[in-house]
Amino acid sequence: MRYSLPGRLAKRLILALFLVWTLFPIYWMFSLAIREKGELFGALSLFPQSFSLEHFSDLFLAKSFGQSILNSLTVTFSALALSLAFGLCCAYILARARFRFKMKGAMLFWVLLLRILPPIAFALPLYILFSDAGLLSTKIPLILSHLLINIPFIVWFMITFFEALPEEVEESAAVDGASEQQLFVRIVLPQVLPGLTAVAILSFMTSWNEYLFSAIFVQSPRQFTIPLTLSTLNSEQELTQWGNVAAGGVLSLVPIALFVLFAQNFLIAGLSGGAVKE
Amino acid sequence: MKKNNTLYAYLMSSPAMLVLTVLSVFPLLFILWYSLTDYYYLSTRPPQFVLFDNYIRLFRDRYFLQALGNTLRFTALAVLFEVTLGMMVALLVKSFRRGQEALRTVTLLPTLLPPVTVALVWQIMLSNNYGLINGLLGLFGLGPVSWLTDVNTAFYAILVIDIWQYTPFAFLLLYAAMQGIPQGQYEAAAIDGAGKWAQFRFVTLPNILHNVVMVTLLRIIDTFRLFDKVNILTKGGPANTTATITQYIYHNGVNMFKVGYASAASVVMTLIILILAAGYIRQNFRARERAARR
Amino acid sequence: MKKALSLLLALVMVGALASSALAEQPAKLVIAARGGSHVDVINAVKAQFEQENNCAIEVLGLENPDLKQKIALDSRNSAGAYDIVMLDDPWMPEVTEAGMLLNLTQQGYTDDPDFVPTSLALGKAPYGTGDTFALPFSGNVTLLFYNADVLASANAEVPDSWQGALDIAKAVNGKDGKVGYVIRGQQGNPIVGDFMPVLWAFGGDVFDADWNVTVDSQEARDALNLYIQLLENGANYEKNDIVSSVADGKAAMSLGWPSWYISGKASTAGYAKIPGKVNADSPENPAGMIGNWLMGVPKNTQHPELAVKLLTFLTSAETQRAAAPSGAVPTRTSVFTDEALSQEYPFYATLLAATEASRERPRTPLWGDIENVFGIELSNAISGIKSVDDALMDAKAAIEDIVK
Repeated sequence: MRYSLPGRLAKRLILALFLVWTLFPIYWMFSLAIREKGELFGALSLFPQSFSLEHFSDLFLAKSFGQSILNSLTVTFSALALSLAFGLCCAYILARARFRFKMKGAMLFWVLLLRILPPIAFALPLYILFSDAGLLSTKIPLILSHLLINIPFIVWFMITFFEALPEEVEESAAVDGASEQQLFVRIVLPQVLPGLTAVAILSFMTSWNEYLFSAIFVQSPRQFTIPLTLSTLNSEQELTQWGNVAAGGVLSLVPIALFVLFAQNFLIAGLSGGAVKE
Repeated sequence: MKKNNTLYAYLMSSPAMLVLTVLSVFPLLFILWYSLTDYYYLSTRPPQFVLFDNYIRLFRDRYFLQALGNTLRFTALAVLFEVTLGMMVALLVKSFRRGQEALRTVTLLPTLLPPVTVALVWQIMLSNNYGLINGLLGLFGLGPVSWLTDVNTAFYAILVIDIWQYTPFAFLLLYAAMQGIPQGQYEAAAIDGAGKWAQFRFVTLPNILHNVVMVTLLRIIDTFRLFDKVNILTKGGPANTTATITQYIYHNGVNMFKVGYASAASVVMTLIILILAAGYIRQNFRARERAARR
Repeated sequence: MKKALSLLLALVMVGALASSALAEQPAKLVIAARGGSHVDVINAVKAQFEQENNCAIEVLGLENPDLKQKIALDSRNSAGAYDIVMLDDPWMPEVTEAGMLLNLTQQGYTDDPDFVPTSLALGKAPYGTGDTFALPFSGNVTLLFYNADVLASANAEVPDSWQGALDIAKAVNGKDGKVGYVIRGQQGNPIVGDFMPVLWAFGGDVFDADWNVTVDSQEARDALNLYIQLLENGANYEKNDIVSSVADGKAAMSLGWPSWYISGKASTAGYAKIPGKVNADSPENPAGMIGNWLMGVPKNTQHPELAVKLLTFLTSAETQRAAAPSGAVPTRTSVFTDEALSQEYPFYATLLAATEASRERPRTPLWGDIENVFGIELSNAISGIKSVDDALMDAKAAIEDIVK
């Protein structure tokens, strides 16, 4: 079906508006981040009149942003590795009909429930638990709390991907004498690699962006993750350097931009995968 | 293939279940138990059992009720707009012949940004002194508006930011669902003389209805926790119009160390979200269990 | 036999380890401090103390809410991780009530009259009269900031009463796009901190001497009505916009903390003591809000004597003089009035006068909660959601509910 010319123009216009609306704030952040300090006073022009990386160097020199990036990477990757290892195995068992045991229904239900319950309900007890265990000066509380978010997500999504594989392949391999472990590692895992990638990227981002648990569990500035450092750039005590805030925002975006550029298909498969399947 | 694989199943699933149990069962029992006590973290005496005092206090506290009301209203409005706009954009993008891929990718950016970054970027743009938005209004001789401190605008400012961030999410999921509708159904409808609207009403919508429900429920679950944006932009003000439940619990529990009272609020919040998401739980759980028992 | 032998061996090893740790390790003192310039100050002066006392000093810089959490959490451990903790002055009642700090007076500390009395009083429990639990490390008090050009354009002097401030705001507001008076009216800590000076100038307060809630007194109503009039002849901004608007000459006046405007030796706006009078004829009340950073020694420190010694060192006149270039505000009269320093930092005289005539926020461990609900109701009032009377009555009810 063809649209009339005015109709097509109107459609283009609406789409253009939607794009401007969606992308402008991100453009604005970039454009503030690269202006010289002197340009950030008074009314601002739409396009930068100057170019400088001083906000970025400020962040690294004065705000130890490098340490924050390192912390974020450590926490994110540790949480990712552990939750993938745990979550994959668990999802596989839950997805396969040939594994039958009493707790299975309860496990499924609990994993689903954890996706729904509000994080703040867990935060306070965990805070006291970690404090009593003397762990608050380490990264362990943060990593564990990210496991709590990521594992249910991974399990729930991976079940969908495992279910999409016919169980018959495993059955015939089993007849040939392969053990359960061999089936899982050699036959099943390679086939769910695309789904696995998607889920891994999304879990990475969840950890990378996480703020509530970090705000409660992280105590020393030396342990700050990027969202925490960003939020302290705008504190009550000192005047806010908006150029620094914008530059920090740009840096927080880097891994996400990389994923969008190089792994968009995985990303979209992941986002639209398990969540909306029946 | 009827070996004894139960041991293997337990071995494989136990690490995940162990971590989840320790990290979730303990906290849930903890808040249930201490919600019945007057546990104050800095107190020098042990917590006393007070039965339902905390709950009674909670429901008599107008600020809690306000936070509850705000959260529910915010969730309803945000989800309504996000899903509706997401659907409209999905229809729009679908009607183009070329460029769908690129559009899909580019519009995803807001959804993927850290909420903290999102809040700060918008704070820069909403500033009442030299903010861009008030600058634009100034060109038309309007404003300036104190978006985040004016009682008429603060709630909606945060709402708009949330809609900005998550409309692309709804768009993406609905767009993906629309891709799965067989083209033949549209052709058949066109032969029957169905116009654009009728095609949407009788072909598109029934096909993606299930997905619409799922997206809606997912957004409800996430929006109900709203904290980051509020904590950075308004701290619940002005006139408590942007206070949310998570923020209320954060203040009482984390800032004021009133563990017992905050636990009661956590229990209430948990119950409400369970009620709101009951449909999601039932549908997902049944489908999974069916598949697992196949 | 074997068992006993291995047990003995283990004991010997532990003993050796412990004794070597005792012998070789000099004492290590840990300071939990508020991040930023305070940390720089301590790091700049600590070397001397380390040498003289054969110890090592580590400074942890923490953000405001984290600092309080961390101190509170650590206080429950039998062996504390900190030897000195830095405390925002409104936390003092909460901290002393929970018995977290060492009683300095009992440790043999005698009060130093060189401290500005209003600062020294903050570290005592009960406030002002009791034993000393903490010493003022860094001074601060809110001031009135103004743009001299804007005042001049309205032919106005720096106001010394709130009626005067309102008159200027009326004269300035709306002319050439100028803003009269800028309030910091965000819910929570900002609006309470911004309103308290007005309340005090009118002779009101949150509590009376017997801890009856008095936020609905006639004085409080008058103060809030004037505050709303100030807003009507001005604007409600967040801190960053307040500072830039007053500094750039877009707005006439606001209250604020000195560090927002003053960096190094210069200020980007004019400054004066906050008006303590309602109008020209009324009596003068102390109205500036004091906000000192104190230092105390946790009860569970492993080195009580050394820690107290370090505390006196860090709050000494010598340290405060050395810290001045980093932007630290003194708490000692001798430093404020030091001739060389006050020539270098011309705002010292104003700060001293304002500190001497300052008020403290109500001394109750429940202040955090009270500030929260008071902030909500003040926000209700300035937004027009509630009338002044209703908002203050509701605030009273909510505060009474908290202290009950």
